[in-house]
Amino acid sequence: MVKPEILEKFTSILGPERVKTTKEDLLTYSYDAFIAEYAPEAVIFPKTTPEVAEIMKIASANRVFVTPRGSGSGLSAAALAKEGGVMMCFTMMNRILEINTANRYAVVEPGVIISEFQKELDKFNLFYPPDPGSATVATMGGAVMMNAGGMRGVKYGVTRDYLLGLEIVLPSGAVMNTGGVNAKDVTGYDLTRLLCGSEGTLALATKIIVRLLPKPKTKRTLQAIYNRIDDAGNTVAKIIEAGIIPATLELMDNQIVKALEDFMHLGFPLDAEAVLLIDVDGEPETVEKQAVLIAEFCKSQGARDVRVSQSEKENEQIWVARRSAFGAVARLRPNCLVEDATVPVSKLTEAIKKVIEVSKRNRVQIAVVAHAGDGNLHPLVLFDQRDKEELKRVDKAIDEIVDYALSVGGTLSGEHGIGIAKSKYLTRQLSPTALEMMRAVKKTFDPQGILNPGSFLESAA
Amino acid sequence: MITPELKEEVYNCIKCGLCLTPCPVYKQLLFEGASPRGKVQLIKKILEGKLEATERFHQLLFTCLLCETCTVNCPSGLKVDRLMKAMRAEVLEKFGLPWQKKMLFHLLTGDRLLPFFLFWGRAFQTPVRKLLPKKGKVGTIPYAKFPPLNKKSLRDQYPEVIRVDKPKGRVLYFTGCATNYLFESTGRAVIDVLTRLGIEVIIPKGQMCCGLPVFLAGARQMALKNIQKNLELFNRDDVDAILVDCATCGAALKKEYAHILEEMGENTEAAEKLGKKVLDVSQYLAKFDLGKHLKPITGRVTYHDPCHLLRSQGVKEEPRALLKKIPGLQFVEMAGADVCCGGGGTFQWEHPDVSTGITGNKVKAIKDTGADLVASGCPGCRLQIFGNLGEEPVQVVHPVELVAKALN
Repeated sequence: MVKPEILEKFTSILGPERVKTTKEDLLTYSYDAFIAEYAPEAVIFPKTTPEVAEIMKIASANRVFVTPRGSGSGLSAAALAKEGGVMMCFTMMNRILEINTANRYAVVEPGVIISEFQKELDKFNLFYPPDPGSATVATMGGAVMMNAGGMRGVKYGVTRDYLLGLEIVLPSGAVMNTGGVNAKDVTGYDLTRLLCGSEGTLALATKIIVRLLPKPKTKRTLQAIYNRIDDAGNTVAKIIEAGIIPATLELMDNQIVKALEDFMHLGFPLDAEAVLLIDVDGEPETVEKQAVLIAEFCKSQGARDVRVSQSEKENEQIWVARRSAFGAVARLRPNCLVEDATVPVSKLTEAIKKVIEVSKRNRVQIAVVAHAGDGNLHPLVLFDQRDKEELKRVDKAIDEIVDYALSVGGTLSGEHGIGIAKSKYLTRQLSPTALEMMRAVKKTFDPQGILNPGSFLESAA
Repeated sequence: MITPELKEEVYNCIKCGLCLTPCPVYKQLLFEGASPRGKVQLIKKILEGKLEATERFHQLLFTCLLCETCTVNCPSGLKVDRLMKAMRAEVLEKFGLPWQKKMLFHLLTGDRLLPFFLFWGRAFQTPVRKLLPKKGKVGTIPYAKFPPLNKKSLRDQYPEVIRVDKPKGRVLYFTGCATNYLFESTGRAVIDVLTRLGIEVIIPKGQMCCGLPVFLAGARQMALKNIQKNLELFNRDDVDAILVDCATCGAALKKEYAHILEEMGENTEAAEKLGKKVLDVSQYLAKFDLGKHLKPITGRVTYHDPCHLLRSQGVKEEPRALLKKIPGLQFVEMAGADVCCGGGGTFQWEHPDVSTGITGNKVKAIKDTGADLVASGCPGCRLQIFGNLGEEPVQVVHPVELVAKALN
């Protein structure tokens, strides 16, 4: 229980508007995009680093649990108050502090929305590539803490690859900087990268420094349409093998295509077994050449048709559709768990086959999307949470997908994180020694265990 | 009553959060309870019997513009706005209406609106208006920025049937309260343009307020008489269309009537029949070759999409096309033309801070275009935008007013 006098102290720091305790407010902070619900005991909204530091001093002095949260678009319950306590929501700490064109970096506060940051950079002809499906919702802070990946991973990598430095507040309330604005920096341990993907269990990020790229001059989006999903999978592996690097390489199966067409009416082919969405970007001449090359390549691998977008608006609509895939499958069933197992790309076709087989055998509806170029599968496991018997089959299906991925050298989670969604599988991938090391790291940062309690390390089987 | 289909809607929210950042209210407040996703969660808990409809819930339920941006952006097709509207009706009995709304709705649904207007219409032209404190506001709109009431109601300025020689068509005109009492210039423009095109215009006597402000506040029973009366007057087979110049009235007549009657367990046949024949005046005019009639006018115009026209009725291109047809008039698209102006009927008065933030963005977008005219087919948006433009030398008009000007 968070004592009333503690909440009063928080209120004296933040003001009553930024400390919410009504049952209604707490219920609206009990979820993310996973299926579990845990209501916090209070939600607080800091706007400055000193406020965060002040709060953490009080929290550590009184052993109050604090769970950080951004927009709540996570897929693994990483940012839910699983053990109660206070939820620290960063949505109101959302300024872009600096865009440095001379040295191509930017400094942002954690509550900045990724796509809004990208839009702002556009004005300077600069580019921040990480592009999770939820970029229009998710915050930079959330992206850092979850090491968010996304659609451009195949060419540009993930959040980690652009993170230069952080200002963090430790659970004790101490403020500290890691990394900096320099492109190269080997001074000491790379704590920046340790914090990236730490799921909010080590410290709170209050400033984020990211490196930027010049904006690619042009972009084309291709849709390759397949009668057989295997051919689509093989195309992906072949493209990567051939050394062609598209900016995005996404696969969607028939169920996704239908749901998206129902939502957006873009003329996706409803009878195709799979569609590949491929972006190429860069210098106009190169892009034109690559687009032709990839189109021919897809056809040689069995694509029945390849469509090339004709305008920026068309590109945009296709990607809005792709971003909506997770939401759109709610048209099929009320609940969805996004599996996130990732395999070496050469195993992609086999992995997709396996998912389809698991789906049929367990009588569980699974729609497949994938950041295919990364081997990052997103089987969307569809069900109705109210049907307990179905839930059991869902569990079993996910279990089998995880086992399969690990058996071919894959990983539990490519980009969504462990949270509580996958903590029970953690020991299947991480050795006791690795877990012990991680727990020691956690203890160093957070000796009292007050930050995001109940997270992956504690709930690991 | 919340229908079973509507109840099931709450299970289609997968909590992806794609409704958060497009929501103008959430963008200002940045906490989840202000977002569509948060509200759907609370409604779900209430429908499941796990939460009481509390004062805080009530407050959050009305921290919403009903701009329908969430509904059109929801990938799973959740009818968020219908759910919220139904819930507002559901909690009406428990929380009642604030006295100001009670008074307003009483006027809109009773037979005292005209006498009230006649009294205040005169009073406002006279020194009473000057007695108002200079810095006073209604919500975000300074008194001085309210237009004077029409000296005579529009419907009293015209006969019921406005005849033309050899009519090429015949329409019923639903004038709405705003045009009838406040913006006669819009009504005159609509009638001018239509009669110039050889259309016989009928303004049915006894038409009532569309009732939308009343039923969107949850007071469906109170609005029922308005709905039924309007259905009775406007469901006529001897006309080509029922024309509306106000986005809000159009939304009511085109679709809200049928929804509400259905949810109230009433017969929806008449409402559905009427809905199919209702057109925004810009839609109707799109059928005509206006080009040959129009003379050049000067000005630089930008267009604001009213929520009730764009999202409720799906009308986007027709008003723009009208403006672009006018020779001499420069059309320039503003950034975020489709974003709600922040008015939301009584919202701007109940949440002036939120409203100021949203309208501030709109005003900035307008200034950035360098336009001296904003066209928008909604009197609510018109009041809100003009009321927040400050000293900017920009006029806000109905698109048809510019067409009428170019016709003369």
